[in-house]
Amino acid sequence: MIASISSSIVVGVDGRPVTVEVHAGAGLPGLTLIGLPDTACREARDRIRAALVASGAEWPARRLTVNLAPSNLRKSGSGLDLAMAVGVLVASDQLEASVVEGRTFVGELGLDGTIRAVPGMVPLVDAATEAEVVVPAAAAAEAALVQGPLVRSVGTLAELVHALRGDEPWPDPPEPPPAAPPPPPPDLRDVRGQPVVRRALEVAAAGGHHLLMVGPPGAGKTMLASRLSGLLPDLDRTRAMEATRVHSAAGLPLHGLVRRPPYRAPHHTATMVALVGGGSDSLRPGELSLATGGVLFLDELPEFSPSVLDALRQPLEDGVVRVSRARFTGTLPARVLLVAAMNPCPCGEAGRPGACRCPEGVMARYRRRLSGPLLDRFDLRVDVTRPQVGELLGGPEGEPTALVADRVARARHLARTRGVRANAELDQSRLDDVAPLSAEAQDLLAGALRAGRLSARGLARVRRVSLTIADLAGHPGPLTAGHVALALQLRVELSSIHGAAA
Amino acid sequence: MTGPGTLSDRDLSCLVSLAYLDGIGPATLLRCVREDGPAVAWDAVVSGRAGRVAALRDLVARQGVGVVGALRQAASGRDPDRDLAAQQAGGRHVLVIDGPGYPARLAQDPAPPALLFAAGSPAAFEAPAVAIVGTRNTTRAGRDLAAELGGDLARAGVSVVSGLALGIDGAAHRGALAAGPGSGLVIGVVGGGLDVVYPRRHADLYREVSGRGLLVTEVPLGLRPLPWRFPARNRIIAGLVDAVIVVESRATGGSMLTAGEALERGVPVLAVPGHPTVPAAAGTNELLFDGAALVRDATDVLGVIGVDASPVAAHRGGTREPGPDLVPLWRLLGAEVLALAEVVERSGIPLEQVSADLARLEVEGWVVRRDGWYEACRPDGRPR
Repeated sequence: MIASISSSIVVGVDGRPVTVEVHAGAGLPGLTLIGLPDTACREARDRIRAALVASGAEWPARRLTVNLAPSNLRKSGSGLDLAMAVGVLVASDQLEASVVEGRTFVGELGLDGTIRAVPGMVPLVDAATEAEVVVPAAAAAEAALVQGPLVRSVGTLAELVHALRGDEPWPDPPEPPPAAPPPPPPDLRDVRGQPVVRRALEVAAAGGHHLLMVGPPGAGKTMLASRLSGLLPDLDRTRAMEATRVHSAAGLPLHGLVRRPPYRAPHHTATMVALVGGGSDSLRPGELSLATGGVLFLDELPEFSPSVLDALRQPLEDGVVRVSRARFTGTLPARVLLVAAMNPCPCGEAGRPGACRCPEGVMARYRRRLSGPLLDRFDLRVDVTRPQVGELLGGPEGEPTALVADRVARARHLARTRGVRANAELDQSRLDDVAPLSAEAQDLLAGALRAGRLSARGLARVRRVSLTIADLAGHPGPLTAGHVALALQLRVELSSIHGAAA
Repeated sequence: MTGPGTLSDRDLSCLVSLAYLDGIGPATLLRCVREDGPAVAWDAVVSGRAGRVAALRDLVARQGVGVVGALRQAASGRDPDRDLAAQQAGGRHVLVIDGPGYPARLAQDPAPPALLFAAGSPAAFEAPAVAIVGTRNTTRAGRDLAAELGGDLARAGVSVVSGLALGIDGAAHRGALAAGPGSGLVIGVVGGGLDVVYPRRHADLYREVSGRGLLVTEVPLGLRPLPWRFPARNRIIAGLVDAVIVVESRATGGSMLTAGEALERGVPVLAVPGHPTVPAAAGTNELLFDGAALVRDATDVLGVIGVDASPVAAHRGGTREPGPDLVPLWRLLGAEVLALAEVVERSGIPLEQVSADLARLEVEGWVVRRDGWYEACRPDGRPR
C-alpha cells in the first residue's frame, strides 16, 4: 500500500512543504529513495532501518520505494528522516493511515530511535501545511515561535508511535531551560566626547542612513559601531519573524523571537558566499542576511575583496539578495543598516595633512579598492579623531543609549507617518512634500549646487538626512539652514575619496 | 616650422640622433655643435672612431674605450633623417642653439642646451618670464599661493615657467592657465621627451600647456626622464627666466638646485616665507635668510623684474576676507587643518551653527573640505 506523509525542507531561509510517499510492494526486500535527495538525505535509509528496529517496530520484508515530492526540488539535510520512518510504518500497516493525516513530521533520527533537532526549525514549521506539527523535543521551543500550527514534541520514535496509536498521551514539551537573556548591547554612555560621531550614529539609526566612519586606528570606530544596534527600536512582528527565520535556518541559537536588531561584524577575509549568501548546492544565508533588520558592520572596509564589496550593492538597494545558481534560484532577506569603518590610508595617519607616511601610489591603490557606486550607498560620512586625553580620563560620561534611543524611536514614528520605516526609504519625488526647505536652507543648497559641491543625487540625499536631523530635534515645518548645513557636513564626497590632491 | 639655423640639414639630423645616444649628455652635445659639427661627430660614432673627434675625446677618456663600442652599438639602426622628421612631426619645433627661434636668454647661458624640442607657441619666449618652483609635498596654502602667483603674473603679461611636477609646479601652471586668453603664456620645461608624460597624473596639464602655452625639453621623443635629467632641466628653467620664485621647498629640495642655478646666472631668486616649524618652508626660509627677496604676492615679483603691476591690482578689486561674522572661524582654519569635531571643540560654537558657518564658507570658496578635513583658502586661489 501507499503512505503519504507531509513534511518540509529549508531552501535558503524559507521552508517548502514536501510530501513523502512510501510504497511497500512485492519484490526483493530493500528501500529505494527517489525525488532528488542529496547525500545526507539519502543516508536516511540506514538511519530509518536502525531506528525502527531499535524502537521495537518491524522492518518490513518488502520492496519499499520512498518518493520525495515535488520531485524537481532538491532535498537536502536529514529533516525528512522522521516523515520517512512514519511512512514506512504506515505502508507496512504498523500504523493506521488515519492517525498521520493532518500532521506534519519534521526531525532527524538517531540509530537508537531518538529524534534529533535540525537547523531551520522556524521556517520548517512555518511551511507546514497541516494543522499539527510533530517536532523533536529539543526543538520544541524554537518551533513554538511560529504562530499557527499546534506543535507536538517527541523525544523518541517509540514515544511517537505510542502517542499516534493513542496508547499514551502526547508527551509534554520539555521545560525550556531558563534562557540566559543575551547580554545587553554596549551602552553609548561609555563614549566620552566625540559629539559629531555620536550625532552621526543617532542620525544613521533614526533615518536608516548607511554610515561610513573614517579615522586612524585607536579612534574608537569599532566601539562606536557596536553601539549602533542598541539605538534601533525593537523589530515589528514581520521583521522579527524574518530575522528569526534567518537565524534559525543558519542554526544560530535562538532565545525566543529575534526582537532586538541583530549586529553582525564579519571579518574582512569573509568570502562572497559568507557575506552575501548562496553556495554551490545550497542557499546558505550570509552575514548580510543574518544582519537583516539590524546592523551590518564592515570594519577595515578597503581590506574586503573588491568583488565581495561590489556584490553588496544590489542587495543594499533592494533589501534582498537574489541568488541564481545552476540548480536553483532564490532570495534571502538583506535589510540592513550598513556601517563601515576605514583608515584614511594604509598607515592610518592620513587625514591631518602631513601626518601620513604612505607613498602616493600606495595611497591611490588603497582608495581605488572602494568603487564609486559602493561609496554612493553611504548617506553619511564622519571623520573620527582620536579622543583627547582629558576626555579619556575623567571626562563626563556621554548621554546613555536609552535617551538617544528614545529620540530615535520618535523620529522613526514620524517616518512611519510618511508611509516609510525610515527616511532613507523616502522616494525622491516626495521630498518636496514631506521635506520643504526654508528660504535660507534653499539659498545654502543653491550655493552648494552652483559651486559644484553637490550633485543632483547628492541633493536628494542631503535633504533626506536633513529631514532626519529635523525629526530628531522634534522640529516640525520647513528644514532650517542648520539642519541642511549639518547634513552637508556629514555627506560623502566621492571626489575627495577618489581624487587625490593635485 | 623653424628651419635649421647655421647648421646644415644633415648636421641638424645628426645632432638629433646624437641626442638619443646614452652617454652623450647636454655638455658633450653642445661641444659637438661648437667644435666638430654634429655630422662629423655622428659619422665618427657610427664608424667606431668616436675617440678621434675632439668633442667626444674627453668622453672616451673619462669612460674608457668601451664607450666607443657602446656608442656605435646604440647608433646602429638610427636614421638621422627619420629621427629629425619624427621630432618635427605634428607641428612640433626643433630649435637649435644660435638658430632662429632659439630663446635669446638661453643663448647667453653658460651651459645652454644644444637643442630644444618644443610643442606650442614659441612666442612665449618673447615675453618677460618668471619661474615658479617648489616641492611636490606641499601644504594647501603653498599650492594656493602658487596658483595665485601664476594667475597674477600671467595677467601682468609674464610667461610663467615651471616644471610640470606635482605640487607647486602644477598649481602654478594651473593658476596661469586659468588667467585666460590675453594673459601671459605658460612654459612647461620637462625632463623627458615631449611624448612622455611624467608624472602620469598630469596628462591633462601636459595637453593644456602644449595647447595653450609651450612645452619645452632638451630630450628627444620617447626618452624617459632619468633622475639626472631633473637637475639638468632645472638649469634650463633658470636660464629661461628673469626671476625664480621658490614657493615652498625643503632644505634639500630640487627647487633649491634651481635657485642655485639661478644665482650662478645672476637671475634674481625670490622666496615665499613660511612658518619655521613647517618642513616645506625650511628651504625657502633659508633662501630668505641668505638674502633672497621676499614674495608676499605677485606685485613683489613684478617690482623686481620691472613689469607694470596694474593689471593685477585691477583683477583683485574684491574683498580679501569673508564676511565679518565668519572671520574668526576662517582664521581658526587658516592656522590649522581641522576635522569637524575639532572645529566644534576649538570654536565653542554648537554643531548646527558650525555646520551652517562652514557651509557658507565652503560655498563662497573660503574653506575647502577634503576628506572631512577643513582648511581655509581664498576664493581666487582655488585649485582648478
